[in-house]
Amino acid sequence: MLYSNELLAEVGRWVFVSMLGTPQYTRDRCITGIHGLDEITRGGIPYGATVLVGGTCGSGKTTLTMEFLVHGAQMGEACAYFAATEPSVKLLENIRQYTFFDMEMVDKGLINVFDMDVVYSWLGLTKATFDRDDINSLVKAITDIVNTIGVTRLVIDSVTTLCYKIPNDQLIRDFLFTLGKTLATQGCTSFLVAEITSAGAKAHWSSFGVEEAILDGIMVLGDIDRMGHLLRFLQVVKMRGTDHSRAKYAIELTPMGVMMTPMLKWGVDSD
Amino acid sequence: MARKVTFDLEDEEFFGERASIGSPKFDKMMKGGIPRGFTILCIGEPGGGMDLFMKQFTSVAEDPENTILISTAESQNEILQVFRRFEWPLDLKVRTIGEEYNEKVLEKDLEASRFRLEGFSMQDIQRLAQTRFVEEDNTDYLTSLASQITSLGPFFRCAVDNLDFFFQRNESHRVISMLRVMQAHTQLNRGVLLISASSGSVAENIQRELALICDIVFDFEVKMIANTFETRMIVRKFRNAPENLRVYTYRVTDEEGITPETVDRVA
Repeated sequence: MLYSNELLAEVGRWVFVSMLGTPQYTRDRCITGIHGLDEITRGGIPYGATVLVGGTCGSGKTTLTMEFLVHGAQMGEACAYFAATEPSVKLLENIRQYTFFDMEMVDKGLINVFDMDVVYSWLGLTKATFDRDDINSLVKAITDIVNTIGVTRLVIDSVTTLCYKIPNDQLIRDFLFTLGKTLATQGCTSFLVAEITSAGAKAHWSSFGVEEAILDGIMVLGDIDRMGHLLRFLQVVKMRGTDHSRAKYAIELTPMGVMMTPMLKWGVDSD
Repeated sequence: MARKVTFDLEDEEFFGERASIGSPKFDKMMKGGIPRGFTILCIGEPGGGMDLFMKQFTSVAEDPENTILISTAESQNEILQVFRRFEWPLDLKVRTIGEEYNEKVLEKDLEASRFRLEGFSMQDIQRLAQTRFVEEDNTDYLTSLASQITSLGPFFRCAVDNLDFFFQRNESHRVISMLRVMQAHTQLNRGVLLISASSGSVAENIQRELALICDIVFDFEVKMIANTFETRMIVRKFRNAPENLRVYTYRVTDEEGITPETVDRVA
Protein backbone atom coordinates (compact mmCIF):
# COMPACT_ATOMS: atom_id res chain seq x y z
CA MET A 1 0.00 0.00 0.00
CA LEU A 2 1.34 3.28 -0.99
CA TYR A 3 0.95 6.47 1.12
CA SER A 4 1.33 9.94 -0.17
CA ASN A 5 4.05 12.18 1.25
CA GLU A 6 1.40 14.61 2.60
CA LEU A 7 -0.31 11.87 4.55
CA LEU A 8 2.99 10.74 6.09
CA ALA A 9 3.80 14.28 7.10
CA GLU A 10 0.38 14.69 8.77
CA VAL A 11 0.77 11.45 10.72
CA GLY A 12 4.26 12.49 11.81
CA ARG A 13 2.95 15.81 13.07
CA TRP A 14 0.17 14.01 15.01
CA VAL A 15 2.67 11.63 16.63
CA PHE A 16 4.92 14.57 17.66
CA VAL A 17 2.03 16.56 19.15
CA SER A 18 0.81 13.44 21.03
CA MET A 19 4.27 12.97 22.54
CA LEU A 20 4.17 16.53 23.94
CA GLY A 21 0.99 15.72 25.89
CA THR A 22 -1.96 18.06 26.60
CA PRO A 23 -1.09 21.66 25.80
CA GLN A 24 -0.51 23.58 29.09
CA TYR A 25 -2.13 26.93 29.88
CA THR A 26 0.47 29.62 30.41
CA ARG A 27 -0.23 33.17 31.61
CA ASP A 28 0.88 36.12 29.54
CA ARG A 29 4.12 37.52 30.83
CA CYS A 30 5.47 40.94 31.54
CA ILE A 31 9.02 40.89 30.21
CA THR A 32 11.01 42.78 32.82
CA GLY A 33 14.01 43.20 30.52
CA ILE A 34 16.27 42.89 33.55
CA HIS A 35 19.27 40.73 32.77
CA GLY A 36 18.62 37.20 34.03
CA LEU A 37 15.31 37.90 35.79
CA ASP A 38 13.09 36.76 32.93
CA GLU A 39 15.05 33.49 32.75
CA ILE A 40 14.62 32.97 36.51
CA THR A 41 10.86 33.44 36.16
CA ARG A 42 10.76 31.26 33.02
CA GLY A 43 9.75 34.02 30.66
CA GLY A 44 8.80 36.99 32.78
CA ILE A 45 6.44 37.98 35.55
CA PRO A 46 2.78 37.06 35.04
CA TYR A 47 0.85 40.11 33.88
CA GLY A 48 -0.94 41.97 36.62
CA ALA A 49 1.12 40.40 39.40
CA THR A 50 1.94 42.48 42.45
CA VAL A 51 5.47 41.65 43.50
CA LEU A 52 7.12 42.60 46.76
CA VAL A 53 10.73 43.64 46.19
CA GLY A 54 12.20 43.38 49.66
CA GLY A 55 15.76 44.42 50.23
CA THR A 56 18.29 45.76 52.67
CA CYS A 57 19.67 49.26 52.24
CA GLY A 58 21.92 49.66 49.23
CA SER A 59 20.93 46.29 47.77
CA GLY A 60 19.75 47.82 44.46
CA LYS A 61 15.96 47.94 44.93
CA THR A 62 15.54 51.38 43.38
CA THR A 63 17.86 50.66 40.44
CA LEU A 64 16.19 47.32 39.70
CA THR A 65 12.65 48.70 39.88
CA MET A 66 13.51 51.76 37.80
CA GLU A 67 15.14 49.51 35.19
CA PHE A 68 11.92 47.49 35.12
CA LEU A 69 10.05 50.68 34.19
CA VAL A 70 12.67 51.78 31.65
CA HIS A 71 12.28 48.52 29.71
CA GLY A 72 8.51 48.99 29.77
CA ALA A 73 8.84 52.56 28.50
CA GLN A 74 11.16 51.35 25.72
CA MET A 75 8.35 49.05 24.60
CA GLY A 76 5.92 52.00 24.62
CA GLU A 77 4.20 51.10 27.89
CA ALA A 78 3.02 53.80 30.30
CA CYS A 79 4.82 53.50 33.61
CA ALA A 80 4.39 55.08 37.03
CA TYR A 81 6.87 55.45 39.87
CA PHE A 82 5.67 56.59 43.29
CA ALA A 83 8.59 57.94 45.31
CA ALA A 84 7.82 57.75 49.02
CA THR A 85 11.29 57.35 50.45
CA GLU A 86 13.21 60.14 48.79
CA PRO A 87 12.22 63.26 46.87
CA SER A 88 11.81 62.54 43.16
CA VAL A 89 14.31 65.29 42.32
CA LYS A 90 16.99 63.43 44.25
CA LEU A 91 15.90 60.07 42.85
CA LEU A 92 16.11 61.30 39.24
CA GLU A 93 19.48 62.91 39.86
CA ASN A 94 20.81 59.58 41.14
CA ILE A 95 19.22 57.39 38.49
CA ARG A 96 20.24 59.51 35.49
CA GLN A 97 23.83 58.42 36.09
CA TYR A 98 22.89 55.02 34.68
CA THR A 99 23.18 54.73 30.92
CA PHE A 100 20.00 52.65 30.71
CA PHE A 101 18.00 55.63 31.97
CA ASP A 102 16.98 58.41 29.66
CA MET A 103 15.48 61.55 31.19
CA GLU A 104 13.46 62.01 28.02
CA MET A 105 11.25 59.13 29.12
CA VAL A 106 10.18 61.25 32.10
CA ASP A 107 9.85 64.41 30.03
CA LYS A 108 7.71 62.62 27.43
CA GLY A 109 5.48 61.12 30.12
CA LEU A 110 6.41 57.50 29.47
CA ILE A 111 7.73 57.21 33.01
CA ASN A 112 5.56 59.28 35.32
CA VAL A 113 7.30 59.98 38.60
CA PHE A 114 5.06 61.02 41.48
CA ASP A 115 6.20 62.32 44.85
CA MET A 116 4.10 60.65 47.51
CA ASP A 117 4.39 63.79 49.68
CA VAL A 118 2.72 65.75 46.91
CA VAL A 119 0.04 63.07 46.47
CA TYR A 120 -0.64 63.16 50.24
CA SER A 121 -0.82 66.94 50.19
CA TRP A 122 -3.20 67.03 47.22
CA LEU A 123 -5.46 64.53 48.92
CA GLY A 124 -5.31 66.41 52.21
CA LEU A 125 -3.63 63.45 53.91
CA THR A 126 -1.56 65.55 56.28
CA LYS A 127 -2.18 63.53 59.45
CA ALA A 128 0.58 61.40 60.96
CA THR A 129 -1.53 58.25 60.65
CA PHE A 130 -4.10 57.21 58.07
CA ASP A 131 -7.57 55.91 58.82
CA ARG A 132 -9.63 53.67 56.54
CA ASP A 133 -11.05 56.62 54.61
CA ASP A 134 -7.56 57.97 53.97
CA ILE A 135 -6.38 54.57 52.76
CA ASN A 136 -9.38 54.25 50.47
CA SER A 137 -8.73 57.65 48.94
CA LEU A 138 -5.06 56.79 48.44
CA VAL A 139 -5.94 53.52 46.68
CA LYS A 140 -8.50 55.43 44.60
CA ALA A 141 -5.88 58.02 43.62
CA ILE A 142 -3.37 55.37 42.53
CA THR A 143 -6.11 53.52 40.64
CA ASP A 144 -7.21 56.76 38.96
CA ILE A 145 -3.68 57.36 37.73
CA VAL A 146 -3.36 53.77 36.46
CA ASN A 147 -6.73 53.96 34.71
CA THR A 148 -6.40 57.41 33.23
CA ILE A 149 -2.96 57.07 31.71
CA GLY A 150 -3.16 53.31 31.13
CA VAL A 151 -0.24 52.37 33.37
CA THR A 152 0.94 48.81 32.83
CA ARG A 153 4.04 48.94 35.04
CA LEU A 154 4.03 50.52 38.47
CA VAL A 155 6.52 50.88 41.31
CA ILE A 156 5.89 52.13 44.84
CA ASP A 157 9.22 52.88 46.51
CA SER A 158 8.70 52.13 49.25
CA VAL A 159 5.53 50.57 50.49
CA THR A 160 7.21 50.35 53.91
CA THR A 161 7.35 54.13 54.25
CA LEU A 162 3.72 54.29 53.19
CA CYS A 163 2.66 51.54 55.60
CA TYR A 164 4.34 53.34 58.53
CA LYS A 165 1.41 55.73 58.33
CA ILE A 166 -1.10 52.89 58.67
CA PRO A 167 -1.69 52.17 62.36
CA ASN A 168 -2.37 48.40 62.40
CA ASP A 169 -1.69 45.14 60.58
CA GLN A 170 -5.32 44.65 59.59
CA LEU A 171 -5.39 48.00 57.78
CA ILE A 172 -2.03 47.30 56.12
CA ARG A 173 -3.37 43.93 54.96
CA ASP A 174 -6.56 45.54 53.64
CA PHE A 175 -4.61 48.29 51.91
CA LEU A 176 -2.22 45.91 50.13
CA PHE A 177 -4.96 43.45 49.26
CA THR A 178 -7.22 46.13 47.77
CA LEU A 179 -4.33 47.80 45.96
CA GLY A 180 -3.03 44.49 44.55
CA LYS A 181 -6.51 43.40 43.46
CA THR A 182 -7.27 46.73 41.79
CA LEU A 183 -3.94 46.87 39.97
CA ALA A 184 -4.32 43.27 38.80
CA THR A 185 -7.79 44.08 37.45
CA GLN A 186 -6.24 46.89 35.42
CA GLY A 187 -3.54 44.51 34.08
CA CYS A 188 -0.83 46.52 35.80
CA THR A 189 2.28 44.65 36.89
CA SER A 190 3.54 46.23 40.08
CA PHE A 191 6.69 46.19 42.15
CA LEU A 192 6.18 47.24 45.76
CA VAL A 193 9.50 47.97 47.38
CA ALA A 194 9.92 46.94 51.01
CA GLU A 195 12.80 47.93 53.23
CA ILE A 196 14.06 45.06 55.34
CA THR A 197 16.93 44.99 57.80
CA SER A 198 18.15 41.49 57.03
CA ALA A 199 17.82 39.21 54.01
CA GLY A 200 19.07 36.01 55.64
CA ALA A 201 17.31 32.67 55.90
CA LYS A 202 15.65 33.55 59.20
CA ALA A 203 14.62 37.01 58.12
CA HIS A 204 11.17 38.23 57.16
CA TRP A 205 10.79 39.11 53.50
CA SER A 206 8.75 42.16 54.36
CA SER A 207 8.74 44.94 56.94
CA PHE A 208 5.41 44.21 58.59
CA GLY A 209 5.14 40.47 58.01
CA VAL A 210 1.72 40.79 56.39
CA GLU A 211 2.74 41.82 52.90
CA GLU A 212 4.35 38.53 51.92
CA ALA A 213 1.19 36.43 52.33
CA ILE A 214 -1.04 38.76 50.30
CA LEU A 215 1.13 39.64 47.33
CA ASP A 216 1.71 37.46 44.25
CA GLY A 217 5.45 37.40 44.30
CA ILE A 218 8.43 38.06 46.52
CA MET A 219 11.88 39.02 45.33
CA VAL A 220 14.58 39.54 47.89
CA LEU A 221 17.70 41.60 47.43
CA GLY A 222 20.44 41.52 49.99
CA ASP A 223 24.15 41.25 50.66
CA ILE A 224 26.38 38.32 51.41
CA ASP A 225 29.74 38.83 53.03
CA ARG A 226 32.36 37.06 50.92
CA MET A 227 35.82 37.50 52.37
CA GLY A 228 35.12 41.04 53.47
CA HIS A 229 33.38 41.99 50.29
CA LEU A 230 29.63 42.62 50.29
CA LEU A 231 28.20 40.73 47.36
CA ARG A 232 24.71 41.75 46.26
CA PHE A 233 22.25 38.96 45.56
CA LEU A 234 18.72 38.50 44.23
CA GLN A 235 16.41 35.62 45.00
CA VAL A 236 12.88 34.99 43.77
CA VAL A 237 11.20 33.43 46.79
CA LYS A 238 7.63 33.29 45.50
CA MET A 239 5.95 33.95 42.17
CA ARG A 240 2.36 32.87 41.70
CA GLY A 241 1.43 31.73 38.20
CA THR A 242 4.85 30.60 37.03
CA ASP A 243 7.57 28.14 37.75
CA HIS A 244 10.77 29.87 38.84
CA SER A 245 14.23 29.32 40.21
CA ARG A 246 14.57 29.82 43.97
CA ALA A 247 18.35 30.07 43.84
CA LYS A 248 20.31 33.12 44.86
CA TYR A 249 21.90 35.05 42.02
CA ALA A 250 24.73 37.49 42.39
CA ILE A 251 23.89 40.89 40.98
CA GLU A 252 26.10 43.77 39.98
CA LEU A 253 24.80 47.30 39.52
CA THR A 254 26.56 48.41 36.36
CA PRO A 255 26.00 51.64 34.41
CA MET A 256 23.98 49.56 31.93
CA GLY A 257 21.75 48.25 34.71
CA VAL A 258 21.49 45.09 36.80
CA MET A 259 23.72 42.20 35.69
CA MET A 260 23.03 38.77 37.13
CA THR A 261 25.18 35.66 37.48
CA PRO A 262 24.41 32.35 39.25
CA MET A 263 25.96 32.25 42.68
CA LEU A 264 28.57 29.62 43.43
CA LYS A 265 27.41 27.31 46.21
CA TRP A 266 30.21 27.74 48.65
CA GLY A 267 30.68 29.39 51.97
CA VAL A 268 28.08 29.94 54.63
CA ASP A 269 25.49 32.68 54.75
CA SER A 270 26.79 35.43 56.94
CA ASP A 271 23.52 35.80 58.79
CA MET B 1 19.26 103.30 72.79
CA ALA B 2 15.61 104.04 72.11
CA ARG B 3 14.64 104.94 68.57
CA LYS B 4 13.55 108.53 68.09
CA VAL B 5 10.76 109.64 65.81
CA THR B 6 10.72 113.22 64.67
CA PHE B 7 7.33 114.80 64.18
CA ASP B 8 6.50 117.54 61.78
CA LEU B 9 5.24 120.63 63.62
CA GLU B 10 2.36 121.07 61.22
CA ASP B 11 1.38 117.43 61.72
CA GLU B 12 1.50 117.85 65.48
CA GLU B 13 -0.84 120.78 65.20
CA PHE B 14 -3.15 118.98 62.77
CA PHE B 15 -3.44 115.73 64.67
CA GLY B 16 -3.40 117.24 68.16
CA GLU B 17 -2.91 115.51 71.49
CA ARG B 18 -6.03 113.40 71.31
CA ALA B 19 -7.69 111.27 68.66
CA SER B 20 -11.35 110.58 68.07
CA ILE B 21 -12.65 107.18 69.11
CA GLY B 22 -15.16 107.30 66.29
CA SER B 23 -18.18 108.86 68.00
CA PRO B 24 -18.35 112.57 68.85
CA LYS B 25 -20.43 111.84 71.96
CA PHE B 26 -17.93 109.29 73.27
CA ASP B 27 -15.10 111.72 72.52
CA LYS B 28 -16.85 114.45 74.52
CA MET B 29 -17.33 112.13 77.48
CA MET B 30 -13.67 111.18 77.33
CA LYS B 31 -12.59 114.81 77.38
CA GLY B 32 -11.76 115.14 73.73
CA GLY B 33 -11.08 111.56 72.73
CA ILE B 34 -8.21 109.20 73.49
CA PRO B 35 -4.63 110.32 73.97
CA ARG B 36 -2.39 109.71 70.96
CA GLY B 37 0.05 106.84 71.44
CA PHE B 38 -2.56 104.69 73.18
CA THR B 39 -3.40 101.07 72.46
CA ILE B 40 -7.02 100.23 73.20
CA LEU B 41 -8.35 96.75 73.86
CA CYS B 42 -12.00 95.94 73.20
CA ILE B 43 -13.07 92.70 74.79
CA GLY B 44 -16.51 91.15 74.73
CA GLU B 45 -18.93 88.59 73.53
CA PRO B 46 -19.93 88.42 69.88
CA GLY B 47 -23.08 90.34 69.07
CA GLY B 48 -22.27 93.30 71.28
CA GLY B 49 -21.41 95.60 68.41
CA MET B 50 -17.67 95.39 68.93
CA ASP B 51 -16.99 94.72 65.23
CA LEU B 52 -19.04 97.78 64.25
CA PHE B 53 -17.17 99.86 66.82
CA MET B 54 -13.85 98.83 65.21
CA LYS B 55 -15.04 100.00 61.78
CA GLN B 56 -16.43 103.21 63.21
CA PHE B 57 -13.04 103.89 64.78
CA THR B 58 -11.36 103.78 61.36
CA SER B 59 -14.16 105.78 59.69
CA VAL B 60 -12.91 108.98 61.32
CA ALA B 61 -9.48 108.68 59.71
CA GLU B 62 -7.58 111.98 59.75
CA ASP B 63 -5.14 110.61 57.18
CA PRO B 64 -6.71 107.71 55.20
CA GLU B 65 -3.32 106.80 53.71
CA ASN B 66 -2.06 106.13 57.21
CA THR B 67 -5.19 104.33 58.43
CA ILE B 68 -5.86 100.63 58.17
CA LEU B 69 -8.62 98.27 59.21
CA ILE B 70 -7.43 94.69 59.58
CA SER B 71 -10.22 92.13 59.77
CA THR B 72 -9.79 88.42 60.39
CA ALA B 73 -13.43 87.43 60.03
CA GLU B 74 -15.09 89.58 57.39
CA SER B 75 -14.60 89.92 53.66
CA GLN B 76 -13.80 93.16 51.82
CA ASN B 77 -17.33 93.12 50.47
CA GLU B 78 -18.97 92.78 53.88
CA ILE B 79 -16.89 95.64 55.27
CA LEU B 80 -17.70 97.79 52.26
CA GLN B 81 -21.42 97.22 52.78
CA VAL B 82 -21.21 98.40 56.40
CA PHE B 83 -19.27 101.52 55.40
CA ARG B 84 -21.86 102.27 52.70
CA ARG B 85 -24.75 101.74 55.11
CA PHE B 86 -23.41 104.39 57.50
CA GLU B 87 -22.07 106.57 54.65
CA TRP B 88 -18.57 106.49 56.04
CA PRO B 89 -15.66 107.45 53.73
CA LEU B 90 -14.35 104.54 51.67
CA ASP B 91 -10.80 105.76 51.16
CA LEU B 92 -9.07 103.91 54.01
CA LYS B 93 -6.98 100.76 53.61
CA VAL B 94 -8.59 97.43 54.48
CA ARG B 95 -6.82 94.10 54.89
CA THR B 96 -8.89 90.95 55.28
CA ILE B 97 -6.62 88.31 56.76
CA GLY B 98 -9.53 85.87 57.09
CA GLU B 99 -10.06 86.01 53.34
CA GLU B 100 -6.34 85.55 52.66
CA TYR B 101 -6.35 82.50 54.93
CA ASN B 102 -9.45 81.08 53.25
CA GLU B 103 -7.89 81.47 49.83
CA LYS B 104 -4.69 79.73 50.83
CA VAL B 105 -5.81 77.07 53.26
CA LEU B 106 -9.52 76.41 52.89
CA GLU B 107 -9.45 76.37 49.09
CA LYS B 108 -6.71 73.77 49.31
CA ASP B 109 -8.92 71.70 51.64
CA LEU B 110 -11.79 72.04 49.20
CA GLU B 111 -9.61 70.89 46.32
CA ALA B 112 -8.45 67.90 48.39
CA SER B 113 -12.09 66.95 49.02
CA ARG B 114 -12.75 67.18 45.29
CA PHE B 115 -9.78 64.92 44.52
CA ARG B 116 -10.91 62.42 47.13
CA LEU B 117 -14.47 62.39 45.90
CA GLU B 118 -14.12 62.74 42.14
CA GLY B 119 -10.57 61.51 41.58
CA PHE B 120 -7.85 62.96 39.37
CA SER B 121 -8.47 64.13 35.82
CA MET B 122 -5.85 63.76 33.08
CA GLN B 123 -4.77 67.40 33.59
CA ASP B 124 -4.52 66.84 37.35
CA ILE B 125 -2.32 63.78 36.79
CA GLN B 126 -0.04 65.65 34.37
CA ARG B 127 0.28 68.48 36.88
CA LEU B 128 0.87 66.00 39.71
CA ALA B 129 3.63 64.22 37.76
CA GLN B 130 5.37 67.56 37.26
CA THR B 131 5.02 68.76 40.85
CA ARG B 132 8.14 67.92 42.77
CA PHE B 133 7.56 69.76 46.02
CA VAL B 134 4.67 70.25 48.42
CA GLU B 135 3.43 73.81 48.36
CA GLU B 136 3.22 74.58 52.04
CA ASP B 137 1.44 77.58 53.38
CA ASN B 138 4.09 79.02 55.61
CA THR B 139 2.49 82.43 55.92
CA ASP B 140 2.98 83.65 59.45
CA TYR B 141 -0.02 85.92 59.74
CA LEU B 142 1.00 87.15 63.19
CA THR B 143 4.43 88.35 62.03
CA SER B 144 2.82 89.79 58.93
CA LEU B 145 0.35 91.72 61.12
CA ALA B 146 3.08 93.05 63.39
CA SER B 147 5.21 93.99 60.41
CA GLN B 148 2.33 95.82 58.74
CA ILE B 149 1.52 97.82 61.86
CA THR B 150 5.12 98.69 62.62
CA SER B 151 5.51 100.00 59.07
CA LEU B 152 2.83 102.64 59.68
CA GLY B 153 4.16 106.18 60.07
CA PRO B 154 3.53 108.84 62.77
CA PHE B 155 -0.07 109.56 63.83
CA PHE B 156 -1.39 106.36 62.25
CA ARG B 157 -4.77 104.86 63.07
CA CYS B 158 -5.25 101.11 63.03
CA ALA B 159 -7.94 98.65 64.09
CA VAL B 160 -7.38 94.90 64.37
CA ASP B 161 -10.63 92.91 64.49
CA ASN B 162 -9.82 90.55 66.16
CA LEU B 163 -7.01 88.77 67.99
CA ASP B 164 -8.89 85.43 68.33
CA PHE B 165 -7.63 84.39 64.89
CA PHE B 166 -4.02 84.76 66.07
CA PHE B 167 -4.59 83.11 69.44
CA GLN B 168 -6.12 80.11 67.68
CA ARG B 169 -3.09 79.65 65.44
CA ASN B 170 -0.18 80.71 67.64
CA GLU B 171 1.17 80.21 71.13
CA SER B 172 -0.37 82.84 73.43
CA HIS B 173 3.03 84.14 74.50
CA ARG B 174 3.89 84.86 70.85
CA VAL B 175 0.75 86.90 70.35
CA ILE B 176 1.44 88.80 73.58
CA SER B 177 5.00 89.46 72.57
CA MET B 178 3.95 90.75 69.13
CA LEU B 179 1.34 92.92 70.79
CA ARG B 180 4.05 94.49 72.94
CA VAL B 181 5.96 95.36 69.76
CA MET B 182 2.85 96.92 68.22
CA GLN B 183 2.07 98.82 71.42
CA ALA B 184 5.61 100.20 71.59
CA HIS B 185 5.41 101.31 67.95
CA THR B 186 2.04 102.97 68.59
CA GLN B 187 3.40 104.85 71.58
CA LEU B 188 6.53 105.94 69.76
CA ASN B 189 4.65 107.15 66.68
CA ARG B 190 1.72 108.72 68.56
CA GLY B 191 -0.61 106.44 66.67
CA VAL B 192 -3.85 104.94 67.93
CA LEU B 193 -4.27 101.20 67.85
CA LEU B 194 -7.58 99.53 68.56
CA ILE B 195 -7.62 95.76 68.98
CA SER B 196 -10.40 93.36 69.87
CA ALA B 197 -10.67 89.89 71.37
CA SER B 198 -13.61 87.69 72.33
CA SER B 199 -13.93 87.19 76.06
CA GLY B 200 -14.67 83.47 75.75
CA SER B 201 -11.80 82.55 73.45
CA VAL B 202 -8.92 83.89 75.53
CA ALA B 203 -7.93 82.46 78.93
CA GLU B 204 -8.30 84.74 81.95
CA ASN B 205 -4.58 85.09 82.58
CA ILE B 206 -4.08 86.07 78.92
CA GLN B 207 -6.90 88.60 79.21
CA ARG B 208 -5.14 90.09 82.24
CA GLU B 209 -1.87 90.29 80.34
CA LEU B 210 -3.61 91.96 77.40
CA ALA B 211 -5.20 94.46 79.76
CA LEU B 212 -1.79 95.18 81.30
CA ILE B 213 -0.21 95.97 77.94
CA CYS B 214 -3.08 98.11 76.64
CA ASP B 215 -3.68 101.67 77.83
CA ILE B 216 -7.47 101.53 77.66
CA VAL B 217 -9.76 98.53 78.06
CA PHE B 218 -13.36 98.54 76.86
CA ASP B 219 -15.68 95.69 77.81
CA PHE B 220 -18.63 95.13 75.50
CA GLU B 221 -21.64 93.53 77.15
CA VAL B 222 -25.11 92.50 76.04
CA LYS B 223 -27.68 92.23 78.86
CA MET B 224 -31.26 91.11 78.57
CA ILE B 225 -33.51 93.44 80.49
CA ALA B 226 -37.19 92.45 80.46
CA ASN B 227 -37.92 91.84 76.79
CA THR B 228 -35.13 93.95 75.37
CA PHE B 229 -31.38 93.78 75.02
CA GLU B 230 -29.19 96.44 76.56
CA THR B 231 -25.77 96.97 75.06
CA ARG B 232 -23.06 98.40 77.27
CA MET B 233 -19.49 99.51 76.89
CA ILE B 234 -17.62 99.50 80.17
CA VAL B 235 -14.40 101.48 80.41
CA ARG B 236 -12.41 99.21 82.76
CA LYS B 237 -9.03 100.82 82.36
CA PHE B 238 -7.91 104.26 81.29
CA ARG B 239 -4.22 104.84 81.84
CA ASN B 240 -3.53 107.89 84.02
CA ALA B 241 -7.21 108.93 83.94
CA PRO B 242 -9.24 106.64 86.21
CA GLU B 243 -11.94 109.28 86.30
CA ASN B 244 -12.87 108.04 82.82
CA LEU B 245 -13.90 104.60 84.10
CA ARG B 246 -17.56 104.40 83.24
CA VAL B 247 -20.39 102.28 81.97
CA TYR B 248 -21.82 103.55 78.72
CA THR B 249 -25.11 102.22 77.47
CA TYR B 250 -25.15 102.60 73.75
CA ARG B 251 -27.40 102.10 70.77
CA VAL B 252 -26.82 101.91 67.03
CA THR B 253 -28.33 104.56 64.79
CA ASP B 254 -28.04 104.93 61.02
CA GLU B 255 -26.78 108.48 61.45
CA GLU B 256 -24.19 108.02 64.20
CA GLY B 257 -23.40 104.32 64.28
CA ILE B 258 -22.60 103.33 67.87
CA THR B 259 -23.53 106.21 70.13
CA PRO B 260 -23.92 106.47 73.95
CA GLU B 261 -27.32 106.86 75.54
CA THR B 262 -26.82 107.38 79.29
CA VAL B 263 -23.75 107.42 81.50
CA ASP B 264 -23.42 105.69 84.84
CA ARG B 265 -20.45 106.01 87.15
CA VAL B 266 -18.80 102.75 88.20
CA ALA B 267 -19.21 102.54 91.96
